[in-house]
Amino acid sequence: MQTFSIRSFSTPFDAAATRASIRAFLSEHQPPGRADDRCNSWAVPDKAFSQALARAGYVGMVWPKKYGGGEKHPLERYVVLEELLAAGAPVGMHWIADRQGGPLLLRYGTKEQCEHFMPAMARAELFTCIGMSEPGSGSDLASVRTRGKRDKNGWVINGQKVWTTNAHNAHYMIALVRTVEGSERQEGLTQFLIDLSLPGVTVRPIIDLVGGHDFNEVFLEDVIVPDDMRVGEEGHGWKQVTAELSLERSGPERYLSSLALLLEFIRVNSKSPSSQSKSLIGKLTAELWTLRQMSMSTAAKLADGEDPALEAAIVKDLGNSFEQELPRVLQASADCDLSSDTDFARALALLLQVSPSFSLRGGTREILRGIIARGLGLR
Amino acid sequence: MSENQQLLADTSERLFADLEVVGEPSFDQIWAQVEHMQLSGLLLPEEAGGFGGDWEDFFTVVRLAGFFGIAAPLGEAIIARYATHKSSWSSKDGLHVIAPSASGELDEKNCYTGEVRQIPWGRNAETVIVELNNCTMRLKKSDAATVEEGLNPAGEARDSFIFDSAPAEITQDKGCISSFGALLRTAQIAGALDRTLGLSIEHANDRQQFGRPIAKFQAVQQNLAILAEEAAAANSAGRAAALAAICLDDAEFEIKAAKIRANMAAGAGTTIGHQTHGAIGFTKEHRLQHFTRRLISWRSEFGGDASVAERLGCEVLEHGAENFWAHLTMRSDQIGDKCNTQ
Repeated sequence: MQTFSIRSFSTPFDAAATRASIRAFLSEHQPPGRADDRCNSWAVPDKAFSQALARAGYVGMVWPKKYGGGEKHPLERYVVLEELLAAGAPVGMHWIADRQGGPLLLRYGTKEQCEHFMPAMARAELFTCIGMSEPGSGSDLASVRTRGKRDKNGWVINGQKVWTTNAHNAHYMIALVRTVEGSERQEGLTQFLIDLSLPGVTVRPIIDLVGGHDFNEVFLEDVIVPDDMRVGEEGHGWKQVTAELSLERSGPERYLSSLALLLEFIRVNSKSPSSQSKSLIGKLTAELWTLRQMSMSTAAKLADGEDPALEAAIVKDLGNSFEQELPRVLQASADCDLSSDTDFARALALLLQVSPSFSLRGGTREILRGIIARGLGLR
Repeated sequence: MSENQQLLADTSERLFADLEVVGEPSFDQIWAQVEHMQLSGLLLPEEAGGFGGDWEDFFTVVRLAGFFGIAAPLGEAIIARYATHKSSWSSKDGLHVIAPSASGELDEKNCYTGEVRQIPWGRNAETVIVELNNCTMRLKKSDAATVEEGLNPAGEARDSFIFDSAPAEITQDKGCISSFGALLRTAQIAGALDRTLGLSIEHANDRQQFGRPIAKFQAVQQNLAILAEEAAAANSAGRAAALAAICLDDAEFEIKAAKIRANMAAGAGTTIGHQTHGAIGFTKEHRLQHFTRRLISWRSEFGGDASVAERLGCEVLEHGAENFWAHLTMRSDQIGDKCNTQ
């Protein structure tokens, strides 16, 4: 029995040169900030930074050139992403379009959709959000009730999405909609690109516990969506949303969200560290190093055209547990005035509060462990 | 995995399945078979009569030895023969092993006075190779003033040799004996964790309570998912460290990280394995204990959590926060480049 086999991360390009380029870009373009600004940075939107990245060819890197992409190797994109996240760069604005929007269109969209949307995504001028959760539909995604009815103009869509990250900045929402009346569960679902400026669309902010605005509610009232905004075949929505989960779950964003805090901890211990601090740094480094091996290995399998769904679920759950546990462990290791204005205290205070979301977003811990259990033959 | 590696894995697996700890074979029975297969020459070049294997082959074989709980110092013997060859020491028949550490000192005539502890199957060995203050020494059991027999919690022989001005063969380079020993225990932990996971899944699917297999309960499923994650972490870390040992001149960073992670996984794996098996897995008769008691033992050998973590932490602190990421990526890029050229 072996649930996780490692694949070596050997690249047909010079990884060190790729790193040198993106680091040079970052030293010029990364906005100045403090450690707390560098935490969880894939949730931090910055349009100007995303557009600078796009101009340098770092958005839509693997997409075909005819759709505005760079036709780079998927592992080159991986290297760039981990560099951006390790530096704590604000990549939230284009993240979803780059990770999910473009790949979805490439796989299931029409030629016209690819031509229309992808070049603008690759320029970081068009942003997307994902409309999956609903008030009655969280982990139980197959219970979505937002419905679409065929009409002479296309589709009339009614319903409500919630926890829609970045909907207030995005131009389009990739929405999962029930298009077959009376259909149950995974059947009868279809994906649409919904223009958020259409009549009948209302986006309302949901302010999170630290006062941040990432989430939104999106209300859809008799929104008329033309049929050419349907992505993929009618009724294939479930298959489409689950097909790309490995890509979403095993990336470096699943274990690096708290790296900025670990780096601050190393910094504050640079002079006369206690034996306990040294051990703690060693232990956390060992965990991070291992997660990086696992994430890279999964990326290598994806690049080889495999779908390592079980491995991806393992990477996400272990990675989330690590990035969530890190602030708690550091809080316990030494007394810290969380109201003080030091980089360490600010980053620690922020992560202690926002890290519970790490094991909620993109599949809860319980759902992931259920997937792993199924992979083990337990259910 | 290459064709050769697959062949090696299949051959080792067949051999180890016959010699598995559950059947309680004697050391002599096991060792005769291992010698017959010439497995201890795994890392020697073919021209020196070995298998010509690398550290990934080593990982594959000793992970399987851990999976089957082979009650013999196979990995220790492989490393000892490798170190003997590297140091151009004379090679003799019989069992030669390595040990985690030695106390005491060498005099100017290379005579050693001190104690070498925790020697795996020292009672059966001719020599032991161990590091002392940045050099590597080989000592003969027949030169020991006293041999004290001991056992680790899993019942594996861990003996002590006490020397009083005994001749030692020395190489001045560090030889990385304790580091390779850490890679060995990491691989064994990885194998024993996969075995513990396999036994636990089997048990959960068989054992009926409340009218259904306990595997159908979410609480049990979620625990076993954690066990699978921990086993995955130990296996990934170990194999990545083995790859580093092939590609880098000095893979101590990776091996330390892997041993720490495997140690953590050993703790979690033991707990969940037993929790899943209930009282049924708590008997001498049940095969689970062969693997969990080894996990408990191996966690402390060739690098317990605290000491390895402190040494790795010191290394990280020396590089500083600014170079933390650059250091990690420089090393992995070098490994990736080597993989490309092979």
